[in-house]
Amino acid sequence: MTDGGTPLGGSHARPDALAKVTGQTRYVGDIALPGMLHAAVAAADVSSARVGSVDTSRALEIPGVEAVMTAQDVPGANLIGVIFPDQPLLVEDRVRMVGDRFAVVAARSPEAAWRSATAVSAQLEPLAGVHDPVEALKAGADAVHDSGNLVHTFRVERGDIKKAEARATVVVEAEYRIGGQEHAYLEPQACLAIPEAGRVTVLASCQCPFYIQQGVARVLGLPLSAVRVEQAPTGGAFGGKEDYPSEPAACAALLAWRTRRPVRLLYPREHDLQATTKRHAMRVHHRWGADRAGRLRFAEVDVLLDAGAYAGLSTVVAERANASAIGPYDVAAVRVRTRVAYTNNLFGGAFRGFGAPQVTWAHEATMDRLARELGLHPVELRRRNVLGERRRVTSTGQRLPAPVMAKACLEKAVAASSAGQPARALPPGRWLHGTGTALVLYGCNLHHGGQHLDRSSAVVILQADGSAVVRVGLTEMGQGNLVAAQTVAATALGIDPVKVEVWQPDTTTVADSGPTVASRGAHASGLAILEAVRRLRRRLDPVAAELLGCEPSQVMLGGDAARVFGEPEQTIAMEQVVQEMVRRRIETIATGWYRSRRRRFDPATGLGSPYEFYAMACHVARVAVDPDLGLVRVEHVAAAHDVGKVLHRDALEGQIQGGIVQAMGWALTEELKLSRGRLLNPGFTDYLIPTSDDAPAISIALLEDAPGSGPFGSKGIGEPSFIPTAAAIRNAVCDAIGAEVDRLPLTPPVIVEAVAARHPFSFLLP
Amino acid sequence: MDLAVQRVLRPGSFEEAVRVMAEHPHALPIAGGTDLVVQLRDGRRAADVLVDLSGAGLAFITARNGVVEIGGATTMDAIANSREIRDACPALAAASRLVGAWPIQCRATLGGNLANASPAADTAPPLLVAEASVHLVSADGDRRIQLSELFSGPGETCLRPGELIRSIMIPTQHLQRTVREGFAKVGPRWEQIISVASLAHRFELDADGSIREARVAVGSVAPTPVRARAAEQFLAGKPPTAAVRREAARHLQDDISPIDDVRAPAWYRRVAVSVLLDRALTEAADG
Repeated sequence: MTDGGTPLGGSHARPDALAKVTGQTRYVGDIALPGMLHAAVAAADVSSARVGSVDTSRALEIPGVEAVMTAQDVPGANLIGVIFPDQPLLVEDRVRMVGDRFAVVAARSPEAAWRSATAVSAQLEPLAGVHDPVEALKAGADAVHDSGNLVHTFRVERGDIKKAEARATVVVEAEYRIGGQEHAYLEPQACLAIPEAGRVTVLASCQCPFYIQQGVARVLGLPLSAVRVEQAPTGGAFGGKEDYPSEPAACAALLAWRTRRPVRLLYPREHDLQATTKRHAMRVHHRWGADRAGRLRFAEVDVLLDAGAYAGLSTVVAERANASAIGPYDVAAVRVRTRVAYTNNLFGGAFRGFGAPQVTWAHEATMDRLARELGLHPVELRRRNVLGERRRVTSTGQRLPAPVMAKACLEKAVAASSAGQPARALPPGRWLHGTGTALVLYGCNLHHGGQHLDRSSAVVILQADGSAVVRVGLTEMGQGNLVAAQTVAATALGIDPVKVEVWQPDTTTVADSGPTVASRGAHASGLAILEAVRRLRRRLDPVAAELLGCEPSQVMLGGDAARVFGEPEQTIAMEQVVQEMVRRRIETIATGWYRSRRRRFDPATGLGSPYEFYAMACHVARVAVDPDLGLVRVEHVAAAHDVGKVLHRDALEGQIQGGIVQAMGWALTEELKLSRGRLLNPGFTDYLIPTSDDAPAISIALLEDAPGSGPFGSKGIGEPSFIPTAAAIRNAVCDAIGAEVDRLPLTPPVIVEAVAARHPFSFLLP
Repeated sequence: MDLAVQRVLRPGSFEEAVRVMAEHPHALPIAGGTDLVVQLRDGRRAADVLVDLSGAGLAFITARNGVVEIGGATTMDAIANSREIRDACPALAAASRLVGAWPIQCRATLGGNLANASPAADTAPPLLVAEASVHLVSADGDRRIQLSELFSGPGETCLRPGELIRSIMIPTQHLQRTVREGFAKVGPRWEQIISVASLAHRFELDADGSIREARVAVGSVAPTPVRARAAEQFLAGKPPTAAVRREAARHLQDDISPIDDVRAPAWYRRVAVSVLLDRALTEAADG
C-alpha cells in the first residue's frame, strides 16, 4: 500500500500473473467440449485472381469431415470489415490477397480439417495484381477494388510554406522506406463457437468482443442480442486482435450454425502469419527547413500506406499517422498529406502505435539529419524546437495545457542514458558506439474520427463479505488492464486489491465499450469504474453514516473500512456496511459509463484538436555496431515518460520494457519478406523477433507533473512505450557508423551497404 | 508422398535399431527431433514409421588411441560440456553451444545435425577442419567415410536406405600453443539463430608466426558445408599480414557459391564469411 494507504502507484501482484506463469490459465486452445468439431480454412495461395468456381467435392470425401461451406452457404451477409464493407468473409468472384478464404471446413480432428481444406480447389484466372503502393496509385494499375486503389487522403495544412521557406537556410529532403511488422502474439488467433437453437455463444481471444458480436450477427443474419461473445484469456494481441478476430469467429460460428455442434478454430502459426493483419509498411517523404539559429521553419511530409487488399482499419491508422507526422515540435508552416493505397500485399491493420511509429521514425531521422547539416548536436536541435511552456501549439493548431513535459522528458532521458550501464559485455568484433534520441507527442485515446467509439461500460457489485466483483468492457490481453481496473476499483472503494475480482468482458454483462486500443484500456475502464463507485456510494454512504453516527458527506472509504472525515479513530469495517445494505435490501450493484469530451476538429484541413490530451516521451538508445558485419547490439535504452499518474508501477514499467523490446525487433530484425503478396518467412525460424538475450538494459524515469484526464490523472502507456524506440535506435546506429540509413529494418546487409565505401571488403559489395 | 507417421518404434539396442530400420523401408530415425519433427509437420520429409534412437546406446563420448568418438545421439549440450571435446576440437564445443537455444541443445544431437545436412549445420565446419570421419551401419554392413563425403546437397546425404550414423570420430592431435582453432557464426540475432555464414578454422603456426598449415571450413555459403581449399592453399606458408588476409578473402570466393534467399543475399554471405576469415587470421597473428 502506498499513496496514503491505497494501492495506487504500488506494485501488488497482478491478479492474472500466478495462473499464467503456472499454466493454469485456460486459453481457447485448452478448452474442448463434448462433440466439438475443429475448423480449418481453405486459403488462396495467389494474391490476385478471378474466381470461376470453387470445388469442395474432394474436401468432403476426407474421412471425419462434417461440413464444407462456401460463400453461397452464408445465411446472412457475406461481409466482414469494421469500417468499409469491402471484404467478403468467403471468396465470391475475386481473390485479392494470399489467405483469402474459398471455404471453411469442420471435421472431427484438426488434422482432418486442414487436410480437407487443402483439398478444396478453385478455378482461377490469375491476374497480375499490384504489389507496390506507389505503382498502385499510377494510372492504369490493376484495380484491387472497382472503386480504385486510392482509399483515402488525409491532410494537415497550416501556415504559409512559401513564406516560411524563404526564411529557411537549411533544407533537408529524404525518402524513408519503412517496413511492416507482425504482432507475434504468443497465442495465435483462436475462437470457439457454441450454437443453441436461435442463438450462439462465441469464446474468443480478442481485443473487442463487441466487434465479433457485430461480425457474427451480420454473417448469421441474427439480432445482436442472439450473439453472446465472451473474451477468452488472450495470449497477446498488440492490435492484431482488434478487428481481425471477427473473421475466424464468423467462420467458426458459420460452421457451428450449420453442424449444430461446438466448433473451434485455432490458426496454425504459418496461416496466422500470412493471413492476419500487420503493421503497415509506409513510404514517407520529408522536406524540412530550419534557419541558421536551428529553428524549424517549415515541414512538408508525404505519407503513403500500403493497406493491402482490404481497407480494414487502414484509414484510421492513417488518420493517426497524419496527425502525428510532425512530432512534438513547434513549426509554423506545416503541410502533411497521408494517402492509403490498396495493393495485393499483406493486410495492414492495427498494431501498437497505430501509424505513429512509422512517422515518428521519419521525423526523428529528419531531426538528426538537420542537426548534422546545421552542425548542432541532435539533442540541442531538439531543445531549440520542442514544444514547451512558451510554445504550446501543436502541428494541428491545438494549444496544450501547461506544463508541457516534452523538454523534461528529453533532459531526463539524456541524463539517464549517460548514467546507464549495458546489460552484458560485447562479443568479439569491431564495435563502434553511437547514441540516438527520439521524442514522441502521443495523442491519448481515440482520434476525433473515432470518437463515436470512445465510451465504456463497467459494473461493480459489492459482495456481502466486503469484496467486490468488477466487470469492464475493455480487455486484458497481457498489457495489465485487469490490474489497472483492480487498482482503480480498490482505491475508490478503499478496500484491499485482493478483494477486487475483475472479470473479462462478455457482451451480455457490459454494454458496447468499443475496442481495447489506443492505450485507452486503463483510462476508459477506470473512469467507468469510478462512475459506478460514485453511484454505489450514493447508497452506501448514508448506511455507513448511520452506523458511524455522522453525516453521509463525512464518510470516507479506506483500509477496508468506512471512516469519518477528520476523526481517524471512528471506523466501521466495509464488510459490516455491506451486510447492513444487504439486510436492508439496498441495491449493491451499480453500472458506470464513460465517454470522452467533445472537441473541435476539421478533417478537411487537419486542424483542431484531434486528441483530447497528450502524453510525451523521450527514449535515448545506446548501441554498438559492428560495421563489417552490419550487426547491432542495443546496449541501453533510457525512457522518460509523462505518465500523469502511476496506477500500478510494475505493470507500467512492464509496458515500457515490453514496448522497447518489441520496437527493437521492428527496428532491426523483423522483416516481412514478400514475393507477389506471399510471405516468404511465415515462421519464427526466419521472422526474427528478439530473444531475452537481445534485450537491452533499460532505465525508466516516470514524470507525474502533468495530469491527464484518466483515472487519478493517469495517461495511457501501451503505445508511447513503443513509438520512439525504433527511431532512437536508428539515430544511434547512424551516429555510430557516420552515415544515414533510411530504411527500416536496419538489417545487417542494409548497414553494410550504408558503410560500403569504407568496408574492408568493399569489392564484394553490390 | 503423403505419408503420415503411424508408429514410433523404440529399439532397446543399436543392433535392434539397425534391424528395425531394415524392416521398415519408409522409416526415418529420430533422435532429438528438433529438425525432423518440424519437417514432418510441414511436409518437407515424410515417414510412416519413426525409429527412436534414444534407447539405442548412441549417447556417448569416448577418447581412445588418439581418437575421440562421439555417439550419433549425443546431445549438443553434452558435447559443449565435454572436456575431451573441448581439448580435441574446441571449435566443435563452441559450435554446439550456438545451435538454437539451450533447450534445443539439450535435445538436438550431433548425428541429427549431420544427417539433416543443412548447409547451415553449425557442427559441420568444425568437424570438417578436424577431418572427422563417420561410422555408418546398416543391416548390409558398416562403413567409414570422411565427413566431407557425407553431404551431397542441401538436405541430402549419401546415407543408404536403413543406414544409421553410429558415431563420429575425430582424430586428436595435441593442440599445441602453435595451433589456433575456433568457430564463429553470423546472424542478425544474438541467439537462437540459423547461421547466415559460419567459419571454423585451425591454423598451425610456425615459430615466426606464419601459417604452416591452414584448415578452413565454411557453412551457409554453398550447397553443403565445405572446406575452403583455395584459401587454405593460398595461406600455407604465409604470415597473416593485412595484405595476405585481404588476398585470402579473394581466394575464399572461389571456394563458395552462396545464394540469395530469405535469410540473406549472396553478396552479404560473401562479405560475412570474408570478415570471419579475416578476424580468425588477425586473432592468430595476435596470439
